[in-house]
Amino acid sequence: MRAPSGLLGPRGLLPLALLCLLAAARGSLADGQPTVSPLTSVPIEEERITKYSNLSLESHNIPPTVSPLTSVPIEEERITKYSNLSLESHNIPPTVSPLTSVPIEEERITKYSNLSLESHNIPPTASPLTSLPIRREMMTKYSNLSLESHNISLTEHSNVPVEKNITLERPSNIELTCQITISRGVNSVNVTWKKGDELLENYLTNATGCILYAQYMFTIINSKQMGSYSCFFGGEKEQRGTFNFKVPEIHGKNKPLITYVGDSTVLMCKCQHCSPLHWTWYHSNGSVQVPIDVQMSEKYAINRTNANETRLKIMQLTEDNQGSYWCHAVFQLGESEERVQLVVLSYLVPLKPFLGIVVEVAILVAVILLCETYTQKKKKHIDDGKEFEQVEQLKSDDTNGVENNAPRHRKNESVSH
Amino acid sequence: MTSKPAGPPDGGWGWVVAAAAFAVNGLSYGLLRSLGLALPDLAEHFDRSTQDTAWVSALALAVQQAASPVGSALSTRWGARPVVMVGGVLTSLGFVFSAFARSLLHLYLGLGVLAGSGWALVFAPALGTLSRYFSRRRVLAVGLALTGNGASSLLLAPTLQLLLDTFGWRGALLVLGAITLHLAPCGALLRPLVLPGDPPAPPRGPLAALGLGLFARRAFSVFALGTALVGGGYFVPYVHLAPHALDQGLGGYGAALVVAVAAVGDAGARLISGWLADQGWVPLSRLLLVFGALTGLGVLAVGLAPLAGSQEGCRGALLAAAGAYGLSAGSYAPLVFGVLPGLVGVGGVVQATGLVMMLMSLGGLLGPPLSGFLRDETGDFTASFLACGSFILSGSFIYMGLPGALPSCPPASPSPQATPPPERGELLPVLPVALLSSSGGPPSTLDTTC
Repeated sequence: MRAPSGLLGPRGLLPLALLCLLAAARGSLADGQPTVSPLTSVPIEEERITKYSNLSLESHNIPPTVSPLTSVPIEEERITKYSNLSLESHNIPPTVSPLTSVPIEEERITKYSNLSLESHNIPPTASPLTSLPIRREMMTKYSNLSLESHNISLTEHSNVPVEKNITLERPSNIELTCQITISRGVNSVNVTWKKGDELLENYLTNATGCILYAQYMFTIINSKQMGSYSCFFGGEKEQRGTFNFKVPEIHGKNKPLITYVGDSTVLMCKCQHCSPLHWTWYHSNGSVQVPIDVQMSEKYAINRTNANETRLKIMQLTEDNQGSYWCHAVFQLGESEERVQLVVLSYLVPLKPFLGIVVEVAILVAVILLCETYTQKKKKHIDDGKEFEQVEQLKSDDTNGVENNAPRHRKNESVSH
Repeated sequence: MTSKPAGPPDGGWGWVVAAAAFAVNGLSYGLLRSLGLALPDLAEHFDRSTQDTAWVSALALAVQQAASPVGSALSTRWGARPVVMVGGVLTSLGFVFSAFARSLLHLYLGLGVLAGSGWALVFAPALGTLSRYFSRRRVLAVGLALTGNGASSLLLAPTLQLLLDTFGWRGALLVLGAITLHLAPCGALLRPLVLPGDPPAPPRGPLAALGLGLFARRAFSVFALGTALVGGGYFVPYVHLAPHALDQGLGGYGAALVVAVAAVGDAGARLISGWLADQGWVPLSRLLLVFGALTGLGVLAVGLAPLAGSQEGCRGALLAAAGAYGLSAGSYAPLVFGVLPGLVGVGGVVQATGLVMMLMSLGGLLGPPLSGFLRDETGDFTASFLACGSFILSGSFIYMGLPGALPSCPPASPSPQATPPPERGELLPVLPVALLSSSGGPPSTLDTTC
């Protein structure tokens, strides 16, 4: 056995005492019966057996004996076995001292991959009248799941609850940490974690200097575990930090897609960095969503070039095909959908403004050409008139004699231009 | 009654032609720029990459500019009015055809080839006709027409977005087809004008119509080479200014502000430079040189702005550089067209416009992909902007070979007041008679080589 690294000095005597207890407890890992003490108002024990694929997994909980006057569950034990490993996790239930208001101990042994690792926590016995949360050590790891850690920092006197949105698509181990900077009285702050309205257990708290840390670790495996997880710091004013877990959003086209009868078109949905298990398409002409059956007709084809996008190709569009199309992306942890709108027009729709403008242009050209011929005719008429006058003047000048040559030239020059 | 044709009216119906050219510019370049809004929808529908759909705009731009000489050749043969009207109908058909596209290839053909060809038939004739209607205020009129580009982007971009949201890309292209049909009334407004200096008979044969003979003139060849080089760098900021700003961490709105500063500077400068050039204080070719060099420096500044250091400093430097680029590029644009009558005479302006567009298209095809390649290699746009800036500067350097660009010789006439802008090819050096008759261009009257 390895002594856990968190074993502190003053409690060093305990390991010896509890080692014996441990040895005894190891032999028998039978189901324990919960004993519920009076005056508790919350469920105090759970047992979980989870089986994965072709593995056997046993999980045992030794239920806590709840001391009176505690209002929160105080211990659990979990044994989880994974893949082809055997994993034993033992919790020695704490003996809870009275007047403590926080859970004080757990022990877990976790084994990984092809290593055997035993980790034991010998929990300290909480001294009475302490209100400091006592640190625990928690190690739960699924060998094939990733770990996501998220932090929220709070300040003591802010009015705004802090939220963090987290996008999750695959089952993962989650580690949430809230930290708050307290000016004074770190001990007097009450820490709780909630999912929605439901109180959570098994969280850690730690205080260094003026900063109080609260940590909650859990695993998200299915869509029921998605949602909002909040940490609450009591005190003069309750501060809250919320982690919102959602499946990735998908994006389609914001504007309606305008097409014409006889066209073929491609509707696309994609998401940034995700790979859904599969995509489905629905068509709705009103409120009811009708799934699109690709095998049914040659009209539809679903193409999936990349994992993060889907394309629905519709051939030979008719006016019935217009409306809203919904693409659904199915993840292990939930579903996400998006709407794409399709409008199908007939060619008569733009033909009307087209013909209107063509008629206007024809009228313009006619007006311009007519105006020009009219002014030219008028000018020619005036010119003819002037020429006639000129001829007349010449005739009259001829009879008048030669001395009128000069005015004649001048008149000729003024007419020509 | 036969009358000797007078000079350009310099007003009157000319302003109507300016308005028509404004609309033509807006419905061709402005629409092409806004078309980028529809490209993401196309990419999504046909399930192709952004690069593939970007070719739709690039192809349209390339066809428009490369086929410009064809447009100008046709209009010298038959007059600008019918050519522009046919071009408008062709563009409209291209859009309508592409509205029913079943694949990206149909879009390349409809928008890229058909609409691009239609645009090729409208831009050069319209701008060339405008140049013929003005002499004293030519550059101002051209500058005014060229602002149609920016104004149309402001108007068409939200309209196009609205059409896309209401009708989808098919309906939007269909309605755009009707909108581009407005090029036909614009063409109807281009009344033919008879000017002294016009060739007496329409050119025989397609090659003569293209005006390739214009390259025989040294001044025009120098100008053509310089413009081709400038074209290599000129269009890059249109394409890469926003991504450059985004790369420097400016964010969407910051990048939009940089582009807006450049665009506003560009539009305003076109008018101001047009007015300035017409005053005649400085020879047009010198202004061309100066503003070309300033544009090159502006592009260099945009590329070097990230060296300013901190985020705030970089943002301020980038805004200032974008403003400088916009102002100088806007001043340069009308001068390119304004200087043409001085180089080739009013008779050859339409053909020269077409050729210039084709030359700029060579640069426009090479510039942005080179810039993109440099960016992929070096990781940011600094190298690409430096390369483009050097293209523009080398083109401006070549402009120094233009007559009148360098103030090295005393003025030919001792008159202190401003001389009217050249319009009969006075900038041309004296050419042997044989060359003149073969090219069929207008005769030159003055010799200003020194």
